[in-house]
Amino acid sequence: MTYRSPLHPVHVRLGARFSVFGGWEMPLRYPAGTLAEHRACRDGCAVFDVSHLGSVLVAGEGAYSCLQRTFTNDLGKIEPGRAQYTHLLDPQTASVADDCIIWWESEATFHVMPNAANTSGVVNALSEETSGSEPAHIEDVTSTRAVVAIQGPDARHMLRRLAEQAGSPMEGAPYEVRHLGVAPFRWMGHDALVAGTGYSGEDGVECAIPASVAPGFFESLVGHGCVPAGLAARDTLRLEAGLPLHGHELGPGITPYEAGLSWVVSWEKGPFRGREALDRHRASGIKQSIRGLVATGRQPPRAGDEVRRGDAPGGAGEKLGTVTSGNYSPGLGSGIALALLSKTVMPGERVVALVRGKELPCEVVTPPFVPTGLERAKRSL
Amino acid sequence: MEVPAALRYSSDHEWAAMDGAEIRVGITDYAQDALGDVVYVQLPEPGRKVEAGEVIGEVESTKSVSEIYAPVSGTIRSVNTELSDAPEELNQDPYGRGWICVIEPASSGDWDGLLDATAYQALTAG
Repeated sequence: MTYRSPLHPVHVRLGARFSVFGGWEMPLRYPAGTLAEHRACRDGCAVFDVSHLGSVLVAGEGAYSCLQRTFTNDLGKIEPGRAQYTHLLDPQTASVADDCIIWWESEATFHVMPNAANTSGVVNALSEETSGSEPAHIEDVTSTRAVVAIQGPDARHMLRRLAEQAGSPMEGAPYEVRHLGVAPFRWMGHDALVAGTGYSGEDGVECAIPASVAPGFFESLVGHGCVPAGLAARDTLRLEAGLPLHGHELGPGITPYEAGLSWVVSWEKGPFRGREALDRHRASGIKQSIRGLVATGRQPPRAGDEVRRGDAPGGAGEKLGTVTSGNYSPGLGSGIALALLSKTVMPGERVVALVRGKELPCEVVTPPFVPTGLERAKRSL
Repeated sequence: MEVPAALRYSSDHEWAAMDGAEIRVGITDYAQDALGDVVYVQLPEPGRKVEAGEVIGEVESTKSVSEIYAPVSGTIRSVNTELSDAPEELNQDPYGRGWICVIEPASSGDWDGLLDATAYQALTAG
C-alpha cells in the first residue's frame, strides 16, 4: 500500500514528477528541476511537502517520562515551546533505529516526528516504555495533517507576507518562531503548529497543518513566490549541509557515536532504551566514523561504493569503509559524499572511491560541504 | 515530448542521425526528461571500436546513473567534450548541443534496424 499526502492534488497541478519514498508517493521534482529548486532554497525560499514524516502524539501525565526512557536526548535541557533532535536506539546493538525531532507543544503534549518508514517502530517503542502507573497517551496522527517545510533565507519573509496580506486566513506570527522553537498559529480557523526546524542547512520553519486546509496553505506559499521543491532537492540540500539520512548515515550497524552525533546522547538523565548496549559499544572503542568526501570532478561517489586508501603505490590501498550517500553538489560544482570510514582516516587525507570499478580520487573533509545559512548564523553569534 | 521525424531511435532511448557517412548519437528528449538534471557525462574514448548495444558511456543526474549504449557498431570518431563542463546541454538541447558522440558505422545494417520516429513515439507512449 502506498500512502499519499493531503497535498497530492496540488503537486499534480504543479506538474510534479513523483517517486515512492518510505511507502509514500511524494514529489521528486517539479518542472523547474532539482538544481533550480536547490538554488532557490540556498538563495531565496523553497517549500517542501514533508507529510511523509510521521507524527506521533504523546500526551498526558506520563508523556515526559515515557519520552525520556524511549529516546537518547534529554528533554530536561529544553522546555515547552522548543524542539529537540533525538535518537531511538536498538536495545541490543545500540544502532540508531530512528532519528526524530520532538516538538514540545505544551506542558504534557509532545509531537514525535519519525522518518516515514519508522513510524510504527517508534510507536511500538513508546508503547513499551510507557508505565502502567503513569500512562502516556500515544497516537499515530500522521494521516490527520500535512507537514510543510519552508526553507531558505527568505522563508520567514514569505510567511510574513502571507500573514499580512489583506484578509489573510492566517492568525498568529509563525514567522517569528525561533530556531528550534515551537509555537501555535491558526490557518483558516484551524489550529496549526510551527517549529523552527528543517533539513536543508538554511534557516526556515516546518508547519503541521490539518489535512483538510493544508492544500490552500501550500498553494498560497507558492503564490507568494516560494519555489515548490521535491525530495530530490531535499536530498542534495541535506547532503551539502552534512545532515544524516536514516537508512544511509544512520541505521543498523551505526551507533550515534559512529555517526558523529554523541551530543544526541545524554548519560546524565538516567535510563533510556539501548543505554547498556551503547555503554558497551563506547567501552569497546569506536572504530569507524562518518566523514565527508569531496571528489576532484563533477562525478560523485554513490552509496555502496567502497573507499580505499589513495596513496598506495600502483593503485588503491587498503579498504577504509563505504560511501553511505553521494551526489553532485550544486554549491561546490563537484561530487560529494558521506562515508562510514575507519576512525583513523583524518580530514585532509586523499582516498579513492571505487565507482563502478573505477578509482575516483577524493579528499576527506569535515562537513558541511558548503557554508549554509545556519552555519553562517552560528559563526556570526 | 519532441521526437524529430528525421532521426532513428534505439529502444534504450538513444537517437541516431545520419550525417554523411557518419552517425551522430545522443539521448532522446524522453530520456533527458526521465533523468532530470544531468550533472555528469562520461564520454567514450575517440578511436574506440564498439558493437551495437555496447555501453559507451554514462549519464548521471541528481537522481540516478544511466548507461549510454551504442545504437550501431563502428568506431567512435569524435565526442562532445563541451558536455564535460556543461552537462546541462543534454537537458536543454538533447538533439542539438547535447549530442554525445559520432560513430563511423561498420556497416549500414544497424541503421536499418533502428526504430523510426513513429515506432519510438509508440514505444514511449506506453
